[in-house]
Amino acid sequence: MAPVRASKRGMALAVLAAVFAAAGCTTAFEQQLAEAELLRVEAAAAGAEWLQTGALLEQARDEAAGGDMDAARALVDKARFQGEAALRQAEHEASAWQNRVVQ
Amino acid sequence: MKNSAAMLLLSLVPMLTQQAAVAGPEDDREAFVEYFQSRFPDVAFAEFANGIYAIDEDARGQWLDIEEFPPYEFAVEQGETLWQEALPDGARLADCFGQSTGDIRPAYPRFDAGRGEVVTLAVAINDCRQTQKLPVWPYDSEELISITAYLAYAARGKPVVTQIHADEPGALAAYEEGKRFYYSKRGQLNFACSDCHVTSVGLHVRADRLSPSLGHTTHFPVYRSKLGTVISLHQRFSGCVRDVRAKPFALQSEEFRNLEYFLSYMSNGLEFNGPGARK
Repeated sequence: MAPVRASKRGMALAVLAAVFAAAGCTTAFEQQLAEAELLRVEAAAAGAEWLQTGALLEQARDEAAGGDMDAARALVDKARFQGEAALRQAEHEASAWQNRVVQ
Repeated sequence: MKNSAAMLLLSLVPMLTQQAAVAGPEDDREAFVEYFQSRFPDVAFAEFANGIYAIDEDARGQWLDIEEFPPYEFAVEQGETLWQEALPDGARLADCFGQSTGDIRPAYPRFDAGRGEVVTLAVAINDCRQTQKLPVWPYDSEELISITAYLAYAARGKPVVTQIHADEPGALAAYEEGKRFYYSKRGQLNFACSDCHVTSVGLHVRADRLSPSLGHTTHFPVYRSKLGTVISLHQRFSGCVRDVRAKPFALQSEEFRNLEYFLSYMSNGLEFNGPGARK
């Protein structure tokens, strides 16, 4: 599967932020969570999702539900980093793999 | 002048690299075999079917001891029983295949032009069950894996003959997807299959040595001592993907079937010798 290009990804996140802003019904944390989840989904669509990203988001939801927002935000940050890194990896590997073919 | 010549050469590098990357399957296979034979010049080609035991003397000794009382024997027997069991309408699984038992394993994986995808032995067995209006077996089920163990045993000594027909562009595309998967880095550890099983082949990962990819598909399913059970090739794929901290694909997913297709083609000419026994 072709990785999502960075510009398209930025556009998707901007649209997502606008939708949240228009709805006016979410907290900043929920928006961060949704953005990190979008990155995870895009990485999965590129066949590049990392092992623990989904679990980090689940833990973040649990921490938020338990009222520990600092812990929840820290977990979302980690998940977001993983989503972005997975997508960068997929973009790089779209051509870099060819250099490893045994010749 | 010298600088111009150097620049010209440098400008050709990407073209040459790309040219090599789109080499045909047979060019790929020949280069693959040559690579492993040059890394292990004392190992005969046929020996690569034995995986890590081709290059690790100590492990080979332990394996030969284990083979005195093969731990996969129960799976083979269970598979034979299921294979010969009469289905509700009186037919048998064997009726779906129309081949002698020993010829079934070598016929897979194959590209099915009608479906436009790679069909593996496990998928073909479940297809058969569906035609018999029976529920499919999960791909990690004891029943399905034991049947593949029986069919692998029946095919021992037969050559791997994975086909990519020139008149089936879908087959070449599936092969190329498997090849791309094999050489692509993934996961938090940023590893490709080839990083371990080509570039670092023979080196240690903790107490274990990394096995050569040449021959990887000939001996599955395998009994894993550490798990105490027989596992499929796709379960091994899943374990490797998880080991590099990427989210594994489903067993018998398109990604893993294409990977199996590529790796099987790389092992053409070796003999089937499954089921195997591994740590």
